[in-house]
Amino acid sequence: MLLLRLWNYIRGYVIIVVEGYFLEKFINICMHRQVFLWDVRKRNDCSMALKVSIKGFKLLRPIVRKTNCRVNIIKKVGFPFILNRYRRRKTFIAGAFIFVILFYLLTSFVWVVDVTGNKNLETRFILDTLAQIGVRPGVLKYAVDADRTANELMLKIKEIGWVGVVVKGTKVKVEVVERVQPPELVHKDVPCDIVAGKDGVVKSIVAKTGQEMVHEGETVTKGQVLISGTVKSKNEQLPPRLVHADGVVKARTWYEKECPVNETIYEKERTGREKEQYSLVLFMKEIGLFHGSIPFKDYEKVEIRKRVSLEEDLTLPFELVIYKYYENIVRERKIDVEEAKKTALDEAYKEVMKEIPAEAEIVKKDSNFKQKENGETVASVTLECIENIGIANEIGGQ
Amino acid sequence: MPAKGSRVPRRKKAEKGKKVNIKEKVSEVLDLPKEIVLNIPKLTMVGNSSLIIENYKGVMEYESTRIRVNTGSGIIRIEGGRLTIKGITSENIFIDGDISSIEFIK
Repeated sequence: MLLLRLWNYIRGYVIIVVEGYFLEKFINICMHRQVFLWDVRKRNDCSMALKVSIKGFKLLRPIVRKTNCRVNIIKKVGFPFILNRYRRRKTFIAGAFIFVILFYLLTSFVWVVDVTGNKNLETRFILDTLAQIGVRPGVLKYAVDADRTANELMLKIKEIGWVGVVVKGTKVKVEVVERVQPPELVHKDVPCDIVAGKDGVVKSIVAKTGQEMVHEGETVTKGQVLISGTVKSKNEQLPPRLVHADGVVKARTWYEKECPVNETIYEKERTGREKEQYSLVLFMKEIGLFHGSIPFKDYEKVEIRKRVSLEEDLTLPFELVIYKYYENIVRERKIDVEEAKKTALDEAYKEVMKEIPAEAEIVKKDSNFKQKENGETVASVTLECIENIGIANEIGGQ
Repeated sequence: MPAKGSRVPRRKKAEKGKKVNIKEKVSEVLDLPKEIVLNIPKLTMVGNSSLIIENYKGVMEYESTRIRVNTGSGIIRIEGGRLTIKGITSENIFIDGDISSIEFIK
């Protein structure tokens, strides 16, 4: 029944009142001429309300004349009447069409190129490379071939191990996985020495091939040969044999970092005064809106970008950029000596940890405070590690 | 006289009944719907609120308390309150309302 009502709504119908004395005759003639009526309701002795389709209503005129009835339209219901109302509004229809066409056009371009997954490579560099291939904002999205782009990017940037390119909405999403660079190895057949990669005291030395040149407890400096690939023959007459030296040389190494202890620290603080500037970005072109000069001497700049987008992925090339400037004031603050020392120590520790390779084993931590000649107190952290310092180095080469 | 008077219409009735019987038999044997073969109405009722009459001939009277419909098996008089014709086509008529009685008038 609901479907029928919906169908009637789409086709359109009129609610009419028929007045006259031969209403039964009117109904019978309607049936005879295949004019269908529904919701016939008697109002009083000589009038009834009923619904009839638009097509049926046009056929009613001769029936009305025949039965001497009068017909009044109470209400016009349905889609055709709504359509008719808008038929005269030409600008409205033109606007609707233009909207659809414009929307289609705007969404068929790439407006955003998103790069994710890069750690060491700069996003700017990847974007530039993509632009060289032909993937950049403003390009037709149907011209972007995801597979071809991925392949070309792989060829152009050697550091990339895998690329996934997805064109979604007006966005091109580029997911990058960087290749882990294999260490530069000397080929197994090429003779080489094992040399020290850094200064240290040898803790243990195990040579698989080649000749040990240092002993346990010996202090070595960077570049010193630890295991030689030049093996002297027992027979003095013969020239020495060249082998590919291999082995593990563990050594104690020290890392030290200093950090000054400051009892006065400088803090930046917002004064509460701020200024906003607005920019409109249309099709990648930025248009400043009433940009005045910034009245602050020391300030912090925050950029807020608002893109017109329908979903996450269907962004349109309109963007509002709000630059917020917060005035800053630098304040001096005295802090407790103990607290200052702790801060400096933490800082020094953080610095030193950056230098220690991941596989090194830390065996001893030392920290102390030193007084320099100029009266400055310095926090110093020394870490003792045990690590493999041997590096293969081709004989003759550097 | 009353005996004779009553005999004559009885014979007539029997003859008519015979004709109907043949048609009825045919429809039964061939499995055809009776209402089409015999041109009689088919009434479908749901409770006392809605009535569908199929194979009707015409609307004779329509008031909100009484509807009379002409059919192959005589006039059907429907009485009740707030009677409306929910829909009407050349074969079917849907009647809605509080129906209190349906009567066949020969």
